[in-house]
Order: sequence, then structure tokens, then C-alpha cells
Amino acid sequence: MAGFTKKLSDNLFDKFSMDFLRNQVLKNAYGNDDTVIARLDPRILIVWYLFFGLVPWFANDLIFLLFSFMIVVVTTFLARVAGLVLFLFLLGVFSQTGYLFVATLILGGDSTAIAPLLVLTLKVATVSLASITVFSGLDPDRLSNGLMWFKCPERLSFSISYAYRMLPMLMEEFQNVLLSYRMRGNPPDSATFFGKLKYLVYQIKVIIHAFYPLMLNTAKRSRTTVEALEIKGYRYAAVNKEVKKLKLASLKVTYDDMIFLTISFLTVCVSLFVSSMV
Amino acid sequence: MNVIEIENLTFSYPGASVPTLNQLSLTVEAGDFLAIVGNNGCGKSTLCKAMNGLIPNFITGTYTGSVRAGGLDTCSSDVGTLATKVGYVYQDFENQIVRPTVLDDASYACMNYAMADYLERGRAALKRCGLSGRENDYIWQLSGGQTHLLALAGAVSLEPDVLILDEPIAQLDPGHADRIYEILKELNEKHGKTIIVIEHHTEYIADYCKHVLLLKDGKALWKLPVREALCRVQDLTASDIFPPQVTRAAYELKKARVLPLTAALPTTVDEGRRTFAGLTYHINKESREQTEALCKAPAAVEFKDVTLSYRSVKGEPHKIFDGLNLSIRKGEKIALIGSNGAGKSTLMKLMIGLLKPSAGEIELYGSALRGIKRDQLSRKISLVYQNPEEMFIKDSIEADIAYAMKVRGIEQWQERTGRLLEQFRLTGLKDRDGRLLSGGQMRRASLAIGIALNPEILLLDEPTANLDIATRREIIRTLEEMKDITDTVMIATHDMQLVCEWAQRIIVLCGGQVVGDGSRDEIFGNEKLRKLTGIRPPEIFAMGQELCPQAYCYTIQEFVQTFGGDSDGRIHKEAVG
Repeated sequence: MAGFTKKLSDNLFDKFSMDFLRNQVLKNAYGNDDTVIARLDPRILIVWYLFFGLVPWFANDLIFLLFSFMIVVVTTFLARVAGLVLFLFLLGVFSQTGYLFVATLILGGDSTAIAPLLVLTLKVATVSLASITVFSGLDPDRLSNGLMWFKCPERLSFSISYAYRMLPMLMEEFQNVLLSYRMRGNPPDSATFFGKLKYLVYQIKVIIHAFYPLMLNTAKRSRTTVEALEIKGYRYAAVNKEVKKLKLASLKVTYDDMIFLTISFLTVCVSLFVSSMV
Repeated sequence: MNVIEIENLTFSYPGASVPTLNQLSLTVEAGDFLAIVGNNGCGKSTLCKAMNGLIPNFITGTYTGSVRAGGLDTCSSDVGTLATKVGYVYQDFENQIVRPTVLDDASYACMNYAMADYLERGRAALKRCGLSGRENDYIWQLSGGQTHLLALAGAVSLEPDVLILDEPIAQLDPGHADRIYEILKELNEKHGKTIIVIEHHTEYIADYCKHVLLLKDGKALWKLPVREALCRVQDLTASDIFPPQVTRAAYELKKARVLPLTAALPTTVDEGRRTFAGLTYHINKESREQTEALCKAPAAVEFKDVTLSYRSVKGEPHKIFDGLNLSIRKGEKIALIGSNGAGKSTLMKLMIGLLKPSAGEIELYGSALRGIKRDQLSRKISLVYQNPEEMFIKDSIEADIAYAMKVRGIEQWQERTGRLLEQFRLTGLKDRDGRLLSGGQMRRASLAIGIALNPEILLLDEPTANLDIATRREIIRTLEEMKDITDTVMIATHDMQLVCEWAQRIIVLCGGQVVGDGSRDEIFGNEKLRKLTGIRPPEIFAMGQELCPQAYCYTIQEFVQTFGGDSDGRIHKEAVG
């Protein structure tokens, strides 16, 4: 039994390594560029998101919310979102409202108490899943091009794609620093329960200490990047209208985009119709 | 026509007391292939940044004199315009890549300068740099060599007349290094580009470059045609640059009057064949290997059917090792060699438990590695990373060296730290942040950190990469000194001179398999193995083989002894006369 729990905790530890996190981030950003969602025009998706990201907050109709929720569940499925993101989503929804919902059920609250909570949970879940679909289903470059079309400042759209370029590098550095701590540090014995607590505190301390070398190493590396950006004309492009036109020339609305919008629109209509019938 | 004209350039960085470039004048003709050599800190990189206008437009400092690149005065042109004249590839080229996909990065500069055909330009540049077919790949799918080619493609896409590369092959195995130089040669010969490289590897300079510029203390000492330049053995060695081994061997033989004083020094193996043609081979018994005694030593680390795979962003996990079996015996001095991506670093990470095998078992002194506590493990085995920066977790090297001992409460850790600082000649630098040290100092500090806990087994990942020859020799000397302190040492490296001078046993990895394992004679004497893995013995070995297939010379001294005639120097009397 002891062997089994050890194996399980080893296994969990392996799963939750920096390497795994890095892999999930990359997978999330670029690993699913061949899905239905990723192939849609980013402008269409942004418009779609404006609806499903905003309207549910103001709607209180249970049927409309249920239908919207169904739509975003389907799109999330189509976007093949990485497991970690879904896990964080579930955790987030539960910590926001879900626990109240469960608590109400356990404490014997009746349906009048549950209904408003269900509505709130549905709202949060719908909006979150819509965000996940857009931000994780689209690769960062298409997303930033879409934002640029809507006249978002060039710096914002560049930041998004550059952050995704930097993130794996940052995580790699972080992983290396943590490995150094693991190799040279002396973590407390985690055999007893008290030891486990101490071990946790130790780990948190290490993560905090790791920030100093992390920042310095990254700063050292980014010096070259800054010079390279200058050579590659990044500053020049930021003020040039021609460049913007070139970048946006790749955006094209296709039949698929229309079908996607139509299906979403029809489903919403059906939900409103059903809701008015009830 | 001159593409680069520099007159009396003096430049100092803000706060520096001595100018980095001092009254430097230089002209580079169109179509040249120029190598810039000089010791660390002589201003090579600064000179190159002055040529592409980063100095003084982006990096400021005290600047006098004039630089004209492609007919433009760099002071009055902006960096963007100059980028279409002079392309630049950094030494830390991976940080130069700013976009996630290959084609995107190659065409990024063209897009920024509003060229409507930016994608075609990017594709054309990729084709020239041998990256056709990889257009839609993500940059993290590329190997180190391919990433370098991509950085080059990014510069080539703007069609500059001049391409500058800062130490292009420092981290590459010979196969990838050849490929980079072949591509540069093609760009130079077919497309008429002027190529300027900062390069320590004089063998490559001899094979590919046309002129050599020697910098010293911010001044241009001379610029000469490559043959003439490499034969100036004294000038070069005074600047910590070592001419090709063939040249040095001939120089030694000339000094010993074995070769006539009038003989021209050879710079390549081809030329050496003519120069050394009259020499005869003498068997040198001492050079024969004696490794049998070690074969009976008990195993220190043992790999038993180890399988390991990496997660990949897309698709199936990538298998690095599949059923690997290997045994490392106590007291061995092992060199681990193989091309980039053969699994050398991964093997070391497995040995210290930073990676866990998905199947199979690794044993340390007979007990399973996964059962050993981290604390126990780090006293037994230690790894020094390829990149010394990653070893620095504190704000001074003294604190870094002390850290592992301090947290373990080792007695007299202060004294021990002091001794280690002394031993690695770091006492004067002990309060500095490791990241701000020079390459050689950083490497020494990382070695001191690695042996702080007195490990029985020491693993070193590329200890001599990115170092100039003088610093490299210093590290090799430190490794020699450490032979007595640490028992079992394993070095992963591309540096075959280090392998030949230091290792007792050589393990060759290829595609996650051990394809060769033995003494240097067994490895370098095996032509099939050399072909399969692309490993290349030092030039002097190849030279010896050319002259006589039975000759196994790994160092210049061995070559001189083997081909320098008998103790009387009898055969050479007539040659001298």
C-alpha cells in the first residue's frame, strides 16, 4: 500500500513538472492549429466572442444560458483545448460559484435557492469557455492580427505574439533554476505529515528565491532580442501603414466562417424561441 | 570596390576607462570572406556592431572616426537602412529569433520594411540556407544547427551585400559546422556576398576564408591573405589564437630543424601531405593505450534497458532512448561524444535523477537510483551544466559555491568555500554575480559549484564550448588538476582535442544508441564508425593517417615525436643541409 501511494505521488509529481507545464502552454498556443476553430477568420471569432463573452452576463433566462453553454462546450471541444486549461477552468468555476451550489445541495437548500446559483454558474462557465475557445483555439498570431484589424494598437498585438514566443523560454529558464535548487538544495524530509508541510513551505520558498536568477538570466538573453528587433525593423513597422496592410492581407472570410456564425445564430434564435414558448 | 571602409574609429562604452576600439582603420573588399580573430575582449563583437550601425545608432558611447558600410555613412543612416546592406547573426543566435514559425521569422524583417513580396523573399532565403521544406515548422522543432541557419536566413532575406556572423559554429558538432560553412561559401561564391566571421577555429579559417584580420587591444594589427596570416604563428599565439594543428606541427618540426627552414608552413591537410612527404614514421610505443586494468573496476553507474521519451507539442512522444544498456565503472575518465541531439545531455540528466526513465532501471553503486534520497544522491554525483549561467542561483559566486554545503550544515563550510575559491582562482571575484563574469571565469565558478560537495562522480556538459583557446586550455588544466579530487568523471563534448588529451574511454552516442565504446584508437581508428556518426578526430590525427595509416597521433607533440625522426635526428641531416 505504501509503495502504491509513493508511486502515485511520484506519478503526480512527474505530471506536474515544469516540463509538463511548458509543454501544455506550447500545446495550447500552437499545438492545435489544424482544428475547425483555428481555421476560422480571427475577426469572425472576435465578433462571436463579443456576443458570448458579454451577453450571458446580462441575460437571466435559464434556457438561453443553457443553449449558450451548449454552444461553447461544443466549440471548446472543437478547439481541442489542452487538458491543463480545462482543469484550471473546472477549478475556477468551482471555486467561484460551484462550491456554493454543492453546499446548498448538502445543506438541504430547496430548488428556489439552487436556481439562481445555477444561473450564476452557467454564466461564469459560458463566458469562461467562450474565452478559452477564442484565446486558446486560435494561435496567438492570428489572434493578434484579428485584434489589429479592429484597430487595437500594434504594440498590444505584438505583445501577445511575443509573450507566447517568450513564455517557453521563461519557463525553460525557470525549470533550469529549479533544477539547480533540486540538485544542490537540501529539502526537509517529507515522510511524516509535519514533514510534508515543511516540504511544501520549502518548495514555495525555493520558487520565490528562483525569481532573482530567473529575471537576471532572462534579461541577459533578451538584450540580443531587443537589438535583433531593432535590426529587423520592428520600430519602423509600428508606424508604417503599408506594413499593417501587408499583415492583414492574409485574413479572409470564407464559407466556413459564415456557417459557423449561422449555426451559432440559429441556436441562439432557437433558444429564445423555446424560452418564449415555456 | 570596398563594401566596408573604416577610418580611425575609436569607440568606448559608457563608463569604460579604455576605449574598446582604438584608432582602427580597415577596408573590406566586395566578395571577400574575412575572418576576424583576436583574444577575448579585444573588440571583435564591438567592431562588427559598428559595421551594421547598431553602434552608434542604438548602442551609445564615445565615438569618433567614420564607418561606411555599402556606401552609406553609418552615423547618418538609420539601422533599418543599414540592415539591407549588412546582415548580422549573433553568437547567441537563438535569442535573435522572434517569431514562432520558420517562414514567419525568415520573412519578418522584409514584412517590417513593407516589402510586398515578403513571403517569397523569406522562402528564397530559406532555400539558400538549406531549410527548404521546413517553412511551416515551429522554431522549437529545429535542432541547434538548423536554428542557426534560420537566424542566417533572417539576415539573408533582406539581401544585404555583407553578412557578419559572430562565432557561427561554437556550439555545433563537425557535421553541422561544415554545413554552415558550405552554405556561407555558396553565398560568397554564387551570390557574391561578402562574408565576415568572428572565428576561433583556425582549421575552418584555413579551409574557407580568404583573408584574416587580427585584432589586438582594439587595434587592427594586420589584415593578410589567409595562408600568409595563418603562418604567422608567433603573432597568433601571442593573441591566444592557435593556427591549425598542421601548421603548428610544421612550425615545431622547423624549430627542431627536422624540416628545412625555407619550407613553407602548410595550413591544411592537403598542403601538409606535400610538406611532410619526406618524413618517416617511427612507432611510438608509449602512445599505446592501457585501459585493461580499469575494466575490472566495479560499476559506478549502470543503465539497464533504459527507455525515455520526451513529450512533444504535437503527436506521439519522441523517444530518446530505447532499451539503453551501459555501464560506467569506478575511476573512469569518460568522454561522451556524438552529434547535436544524440542524447548526451539527456543521458547525464538521467544519471543524476533529474529525468526519470519511462522503463528500465538506472543503478548507482548497485542500488536503484529512484530509491536514493536527493540529499544522498547529490553527495555522490554532480552535474555541471553546459550553460554556466543556469548554475548561479545566488547573487555572488561565493554564496553560490557555499550554498550546497551551507544548507547541509557541512562542518567548516566557510573554510571549504575559501579553499575552493582559492583553488579555482576566484578569490578576487568572490563578491561578483556569476552572470557578470567573463566566459572562462564563469566556467571555473560553475566547476567549483559542481565539486563543492566532493562528489564521487562528476558529470560535465560541454565544459569547453564557447571559449577561446586560452580559456579552453585553462579549463583543461583545471580538469587535469581535478583528476585527483574526483574519482569518476564523464564529459559530454564536441571538442575532439579535449577528448584526445583527456579521456581514457570514449562512448559514442548516435540516435539514442551506444554505437561505439572504447579507447581513442578504437574509436578514431574505426572508419565505419566515423562515417556513421560524423565524429571527426583532430586534424593532426587525420594528418598522421594521411602520411601513414598505422600512425595514431592525437596531439602535436605525439606527431612531432612520431614523425620527427629518431633521437639522433639522423635522417634529417640532409634535409637541413
